Amino acid sequence: MITLINVGVAQVQVGENPSVLRTILGSCVGICIYDRNKKIGGMAHVLLPHQQGDGKEEKYADTAIPLLIKKLIKMGCTREMMSAKIAGGASMFKFQSSVALGQIGNNNIDMTKKVLEENKIPITAEDVGGNTGRVIDFFLEDGRLKVKAAGEEKMYYKV
Amino acid sequence: MHIKIKERLESIINDLEQLPSLPDTVSKIINMVNDPNVDFKLIAGEISKDQAITTNLLKLCNSAYFSKGKEISSLDRAIVTLGLKEVKDAVMVITTKPVLNKVVIGYDLTKGMLWEHDLAVAILSKKISMMKKDRMNADVVFTGGIIHDVGKTVLALFVQNAFKEIISVVETKGIPFQEAEKEVMGFDHQEVGAKILSKWNFPEVLKDIVRYHHQPDLAPESSRKLVSTVHVANTICLMAGVGIGSDGLYHELNGHAIEVLKLTDAELEQLYSEMPEVMTQVKEIQ
Repeated sequence: MITLINVGVAQVQVGENPSVLRTILGSCVGICIYDRNKKIGGMAHVLLPHQQGDGKEEKYADTAIPLLIKKLIKMGCTREMMSAKIAGGASMFKFQSSVALGQIGNNNIDMTKKVLEENKIPITAEDVGGNTGRVIDFFLEDGRLKVKAAGEEKMYYKV
Repeated sequence: MHIKIKERLESIINDLEQLPSLPDTVSKIINMVNDPNVDFKLIAGEISKDQAITTNLLKLCNSAYFSKGKEISSLDRAIVTLGLKEVKDAVMVITTKPVLNKVVIGYDLTKGMLWEHDLAVAILSKKISMMKKDRMNADVVFTGGIIHDVGKTVLALFVQNAFKEIISVVETKGIPFQEAEKEVMGFDHQEVGAKILSKWNFPEVLKDIVRYHHQPDLAPESSRKLVSTVHVANTICLMAGVGIGSDGLYHELNGHAIEVLKLTDAELEQLYSEMPEVMTQVKEIQ
């Protein structure tokens, strides 16, 4: 039976074939990592780029991504078989450039890419930036990612 | 402009029968709570006329968010222990739920998404009030947060039909979504919401919050700070993806609102980073 796992704001969740991980993104970034050999994957929904020393690893890109990788390795995944898809990081349509909150989407995307690179996980697809909200479904059957934004759906297959 | 949609909307907002309803007792309670000389027994009496509201109210008052660990065994205890304003907020949560906890097609919100968003905006608005030492008005922005998007429930069907046009106006003219709503359909969800609040006989300040939550700089001076509070809370919730729909982030984060509230970058980021905790509180009262 296919189980739908809802990933909330600042949560990291893992699952295996045939589960589907879902989250809804604004300026947050959803990081989906998949082991194509084991058909196991996980999703992190990060709010901000840098950890703030509050011990909440799941909130921040620089701590949530290593946490997600660690959880996947614990489930038997290997780093070499992992690839990532990322989505989200939208910004407000209009804001004063002096307001830092307006930059969070872009900062989240940049930090996500940096941390994945440091961990040697290749990004096979990205659907980031702009001003749309995104509902993303990550299918652990084959690692495909469905992105619904502004009433339209896109599918990313490459793992 | 879609003349047909505009005409249809005009006839809906001018026909009270076609707009969502709330029990009359709700506006009575709001007005009583605003009266500094009111006898709390009168309010308890007004609430207890409705058995269903009273039962749900006691349950909600005992939730972690409202009770703060105290046991509330009766309506009188609730008013004495939590205070009139808190009880009024709880009444708002109970009575508006049937209006707001529904599918909102057009904006692509599945059942429960708008309700979750409204509660999150209410809770975050209250947090901003507390942060800015405006405890007096914390209950007003909580109520305003709950109902700020009520116009979407009426506009949804029309947005469903006009969505492609609205988005293309957003992109070609570079204007926010709700301005494009008005351009394509003659009305935006703020105006429709304000009409609904008139029907409900709600006070002016709540009408201003609904009417200007995307344009706080246009709100009357007297209510600008409270409108700005809900504006900032709404923006932060949408950025965190809570209740984000087909209109996405095609909105403005209004610089004037941030100035009015004297919010620093650090405070704004702190509010945004507290969203997971806000969502835990939403679940307590959902």
